[in-house]
Amino acid sequence: MSTRREFRLRAFAAKVRGFLRGHKRDGEFDDEIQEHLQLLAEKFMAQGMSREEAAAAARRQFGNVTLLQEDRRALQRFSFFEALWQDLRFSLRIIVKSPGFTATAVLTLALGIGANTTIFSWIHSVLLNPLPGAGDPHRIVELESLAPSGEWVPTSYLDFRDFRDHLNLVESMSVAKPMALTVGNDVHVERVWGETVSGNFFDVLRVQAEIGRFFSGVERDDAQNAHPVAVISHSFWHSHYNESASAIGAILRVNRTPYTVIGVAPKQFHGSLAGLSFDLWVPATMYGQLTATGTWMLEDRKARMFRVLARLARGVTLEQARSELASLAGFMAKADADTNEGMSATLLPVWKSHYGIQGSLLAPLTILFGASGVVLLIVCANIANLLLVRAAGRRKEFSIRVALGASPMRLVRQLSTEVLMLAVLGSVAGLLIADWLGGSLRWLLPLTEAPRLQSGGLDSGVLLFTAALAVAIAALASIGPALHATRDNVNETLKEGGRSGTSSTQSNRLRSLLVTSEVALAVTSLIGAGLFVKSFYRVKSIHPGFDPNQVAVAQFNLSAANFDAQQADAFCRHLRERLERQPGVTAVTYADYVPLSLGEGSWEDLQVEGHVSGPSENMKIYRNLVAPGYFTLMKIPLIEGRDFTMQDDDPHPPVMIVTREFVRRFIPRGGVLNRKVHGWGQWFTIVGVVEDSKIHRLTENTRPYFYVPIFYVPIRQIYRPEMGLAFYVRTAGSVSEAMQSIRRESQAVDAMVPASGVMSLNEWIAGSLFGQRIAASLLSVLAAIAFVLASIGLYGVVAYTVAQRTQEFGIRLSLGAQPRDVLGLIVRQGLAFALAGTAVGAGLTLLLGRALGNFLVNMSAADPLIFTATAVFVIVLALAAASIPARRAMRVDPMVALRYE
Amino acid sequence: MKSKKSEVLQGTLDLMILKTLHALGPLHGFGIARRIEQVSRDVLQLNEGTVYTSLLRLQQQAWIAAEWGTSENNRKAKFYSITKRGEKHLQVEAENWERISDVIGRVLKLEAER
Repeated sequence: MSTRREFRLRAFAAKVRGFLRGHKRDGEFDDEIQEHLQLLAEKFMAQGMSREEAAAAARRQFGNVTLLQEDRRALQRFSFFEALWQDLRFSLRIIVKSPGFTATAVLTLALGIGANTTIFSWIHSVLLNPLPGAGDPHRIVELESLAPSGEWVPTSYLDFRDFRDHLNLVESMSVAKPMALTVGNDVHVERVWGETVSGNFFDVLRVQAEIGRFFSGVERDDAQNAHPVAVISHSFWHSHYNESASAIGAILRVNRTPYTVIGVAPKQFHGSLAGLSFDLWVPATMYGQLTATGTWMLEDRKARMFRVLARLARGVTLEQARSELASLAGFMAKADADTNEGMSATLLPVWKSHYGIQGSLLAPLTILFGASGVVLLIVCANIANLLLVRAAGRRKEFSIRVALGASPMRLVRQLSTEVLMLAVLGSVAGLLIADWLGGSLRWLLPLTEAPRLQSGGLDSGVLLFTAALAVAIAALASIGPALHATRDNVNETLKEGGRSGTSSTQSNRLRSLLVTSEVALAVTSLIGAGLFVKSFYRVKSIHPGFDPNQVAVAQFNLSAANFDAQQADAFCRHLRERLERQPGVTAVTYADYVPLSLGEGSWEDLQVEGHVSGPSENMKIYRNLVAPGYFTLMKIPLIEGRDFTMQDDDPHPPVMIVTREFVRRFIPRGGVLNRKVHGWGQWFTIVGVVEDSKIHRLTENTRPYFYVPIFYVPIRQIYRPEMGLAFYVRTAGSVSEAMQSIRRESQAVDAMVPASGVMSLNEWIAGSLFGQRIAASLLSVLAAIAFVLASIGLYGVVAYTVAQRTQEFGIRLSLGAQPRDVLGLIVRQGLAFALAGTAVGAGLTLLLGRALGNFLVNMSAADPLIFTATAVFVIVLALAAASIPARRAMRVDPMVALRYE
Repeated sequence: MKSKKSEVLQGTLDLMILKTLHALGPLHGFGIARRIEQVSRDVLQLNEGTVYTSLLRLQQQAWIAAEWGTSENNRKAKFYSITKRGEKHLQVEAENWERISDVIGRVLKLEAER
């Protein structure tokens, strides 16, 4: 017979009955108690006590009635929930009754939570959830081929097929290559970013079609240029077909070839590149047709341009699959030694991939996350301060409640509920801010050639994070006031007559500590921001080696217009002639790469006459294909020899121009001109040497580089239209007019070739700085917010102290102190906080110095100028913040002050 | 949060009330308190109010039943009486107590014999 269980069951039943019955039974219990008290009093009176004495004795003997009622309620109610409900209603009342406090607290919280959530949502969409819409994304990895030097390179189609057909530990693989495509009919073309993918791409990613279907059946084979079918994105379906089912089966002209739309991807799927949005997916086997290059590109093992995604087989770890791949690649390196010698391959988790924007955003986002954490700490400190002030005003209330028998836990619980409610309100406001800011990430990214950026949406992961943040803030901020409230000496508080706004020394000490930490954190953020701003300007002022001023550039996607190499050449010559005739234009040239682009351009494997390359020396040198006049336009000095001329095309022998570093590395002795270099299966003659200039990043070390003429040559096939084409126009007049001219004249030459990325070369280069720019600008914003919050905190503490000590000041003044003595007192206190905070903040930054130093360019984190400037700035502003209440105190009439309560 | 000690005290009080009702028949709260005061000869110092918490618990466990009636001085009062379940519970608990005190007594006597 389980008596314990029966016991509990009956107790529970009683609570349910009590809950259902409501408050009716209370009256009876209270009546009983009153009766008992009455009888007791009568008994004592019978023993000779007076009426009052008897009543008091009765109460003493009976015990605490309130506690008794609570015990009864505990038996008859689900007291936990009732208490909670009570706390909630009480908190709500308090929040409504003090709008000023609530507004300040909620606003402060909103700033902190908003900033953190925004940055976290960016981190989430770029790093943590890079493949939205994919099923089981953690099993997806990226395959990267490795050159003999260890550098990663894209994978060729033949290598991909071998990997695909022979790897066991990988369940499925697909290629994916982003491409800018021209979509439209004869009247209207637009540029659409898509991915060329394998037939099983959507299987690898475990994505279901919204409507229609994905590639199936024969569409998945390796036959080239055989299946013109396409899958469109949800937003493309929305904007071009109004989400109607008639999209399925519709014909879409892609690069002038008709494709059939077979399906629509789901709304949350944006493609396989983290952070970027794509609108179209076509089979990779159509690559030859899309680029008008026939079929040889997918049949040449040396044509490496694909990115490869793979899904790990069940129960297989990344390391296991990686070693299988490495041994397979090693085998292929020997079997196809003519193309793959020394090469290998590896598997990487998607967030470590070298494609997409993660690489460049990882560092800035981490720093930003740290900075916003700092802002959040300051927010917590501010809120805690606000709560302490309010708690000080409620000391009487708490003491009475304790005297009535409330347990400390109950008080703490109620305080926590209040703070939690504020945190919830702040979170909601913060989420709104984050939602608004989240889309703004795209404004920070460069305007250059890139697919649309996904907006950092607020999905469940982010919301969870915000909720956790709110709870953490509530916990942190309520510790101080709660401890303070429970340790308070009830007697002392109740005895301190009248003064409702006082606080104990403990409370003051806590607030001082909080304010000093706030100032310290603000100083750290300011110094950090200062360092990054300086670093950004350092980088910006690095000379690129060419003159980007007064130059307009434009990109043309000639293969999207289905030009072959000969047509491309004709287009270039015509456009160049027309542009040279424009007023103000001093030089026109074209090339297949613009320096300091986000993409890396192409390289070629070289052999230099007279140079024996070391065993692991990387002879894959980057190059630019340029037209004559490139160096003159870019103002890159010619050191030796000559520029290309129009006579350097076929049938004349192939020529090459190299850079100073190239010579230093490969031709240290002997003559440079007329030396032979082998590449693309033929021997080139060096005809000129130019000065080094920046190729990929302003902060790079000098690397060897070379240039080859961009002409069409039937046999040589060096320049291919799908490589992209950039036109440069230098003008003596306005650059925007030059930009207009480019658009106009290119339309005139061929209306089917839209100009894209038309901007000044300076703007183009600015894009390459975006990592540093983001860090500098956002850190500045965060530092400003941190500083404002800390100033408010400092002002609050000083103002509060002044109010507290008004009586004291009145006494001093009436005893003969000068107003400026009082001012001095107050300002000194503010100064103390500022100095202490600055010292701690500076020390903190020095500690972080090494970590920060990694992100800074050409400077150390212990920059004396910035430290000093920040210290002076903070102290001056702190003094200003402290002087406002100080001046008010000075003007107080001593008589009023003395009577102040 | 009630401490273990107060729980034991409450349990003891429950027993004393049951025994009182068993011995004296139906009583109201004041009467029970007086009787306990008498019996314990002022050794037990507890707040009288706790009797009512016990009475509530005993009611919930259906060991006692309550009825409104009139007291000696013609006042309305709630009278409590022990139920059959209560009698059984009392018997079981009393036996437990006897057994425990017997064992303890023997253990203590052991000590004394040393």
